[in-house]
Amino acid sequence: MKTSHHLKKTFFTRGRAPDCPIYDLHGHMGPYHGLHINRETAAQADAALKRAGVRLLAFCHHSALAAPDIGNADNIKAVRAFPDRLRAYCGINPNYPDQVEKDVASFDRYADVYVGFKFHPSMHGIPVTDPRNAPAWQFADARALPVLLHTWGGGPTEGHPAVRKAAERYPRAKILLGHSCHDSWNEAIQLVKDFPNVYLELCAVMDERGILERFVGELGSKRIVFGTDYPWFNHHYYIGAVLGAGLSEDDCRNVFYRNAEKILKIKRR
Amino acid sequence: MTLSFFDANLCFGRPIQAVYQPAETAADLQRVMAHNGITKGLVWHIAQREYAASEGNRLLAKAIAGRKNLFGCWAILPPQTDEVITPDFFRRMKTRRIFALRAFPTLHNYIINRVVFGKFLVEVTERRIPLMLSVEKASGGWPAIYNLLAEFPNLTCIFCDIGIWNSDRFTWPLLENYPNVFLETSLLALEDAGIEETVARYGAERLLFGSNFPERYPEAAMLALLHAAIPAAAKRKIASANLEGLIKRVRL
Repeated sequence: MKTSHHLKKTFFTRGRAPDCPIYDLHGHMGPYHGLHINRETAAQADAALKRAGVRLLAFCHHSALAAPDIGNADNIKAVRAFPDRLRAYCGINPNYPDQVEKDVASFDRYADVYVGFKFHPSMHGIPVTDPRNAPAWQFADARALPVLLHTWGGGPTEGHPAVRKAAERYPRAKILLGHSCHDSWNEAIQLVKDFPNVYLELCAVMDERGILERFVGELGSKRIVFGTDYPWFNHHYYIGAVLGAGLSEDDCRNVFYRNAEKILKIKRR
Repeated sequence: MTLSFFDANLCFGRPIQAVYQPAETAADLQRVMAHNGITKGLVWHIAQREYAASEGNRLLAKAIAGRKNLFGCWAILPPQTDEVITPDFFRRMKTRRIFALRAFPTLHNYIINRVVFGKFLVEVTERRIPLMLSVEKASGGWPAIYNLLAEFPNLTCIFCDIGIWNSDRFTWPLLENYPNVFLETSLLALEDAGIEETVARYGAERLLFGSNFPERYPEAAMLALLHAAIPAAAKRKIASANLEGLIKRVRL
């Protein structure tokens, strides 16, 4: 097994590794009520991504999740301003079913912007399986698109039981478990074992030693994707944490970019 | 660039509950440090928090004896109970190479304020001994921290493990108002641009590198500091020079 020593050395020396791009599949943008965000803008994001060798950030602007009066407009603006490194998840707020219909209907108009959908069931107070989410789910399922879910523990709206129901109902959508059902690690692992369309995502996982090692030990590395909640968390911190987990170089590469490229159907030159 | 790292937040000992690959002994911790390129550590023993401050302090002192790159922290309890703070406390600190104190008021069931620690913390302030409070681990929370500093504005205070979710709204007012407040970076480094923005506002002198091993990966905080968008001189201060300075100014 080739260790990640070479990658570690390169990242520590240069801050990025040209032969190991990073795909961050869990990001945000803009201000947020609960905390001070140091880098709110798309321009700041673009510079930060470049610095850490992040090839692509798939994000959902905070306004698309938390400001129905703005909706997905900021997602579109940001991606079109920095199309090289940014793509967005179309934010779905099921409290506004008419808007959900409109967002889904306009998805193709923004084919250059969107990679899939984002649901935040605890923020919106509606379980991910609620019928009001169905138009987006059905659309994603039909096209095998990524759906990034905020998942945490075993709660009724955002926990692993709700995810299980969604995975049963929508077997083709690529379901990314944002935060990997945080703290319900065994259940998250079981979801990946039970459903070939479910992936673990590392945001809020990597500030605790031992979890990624457990994931890889039980599942291998092909169903784990890198994510940071940027601009909440720092790319170098997360990259360092993955490198610190003592995985093989192959495993690191799967997590950093190979799995994401498959999910996003990206062919590298 | 290469940096010499002096880690302000390292723990060893066997925890009550499973922690992923902890350093069970001081020698284990030194191996982890060597593996990661951490040359010195300000360390504490898990028993100081989880078992009993007095016994934990004893275990720590015994374990670091003769290990020149390990500098100790002792846990404190209210002086009134004589469990830890005795008349020869500072002398014992000196002989056992203890350069900082830690407090876990919530878990150890006391209040850290002037009523409880008045004379003692006045002396700690005069001796410039850093008091380390882990915000995540039983510090009493930000209101208690704010009260403490209002009562002891010149106390040298290091806030460790400052929280997963950006703490700028709590920490920056303290940095602004109290010149002897410092932040340990194991979680500041997690915050995007946390190091850069804090340095820009309050200077690199106010930050101390820390990893919070074994709970967190040393490589995470190290890589974040190495490639933070701040000058190399600022990185050197944060990585080791600031903590070296704090330890040198301790009067025991």
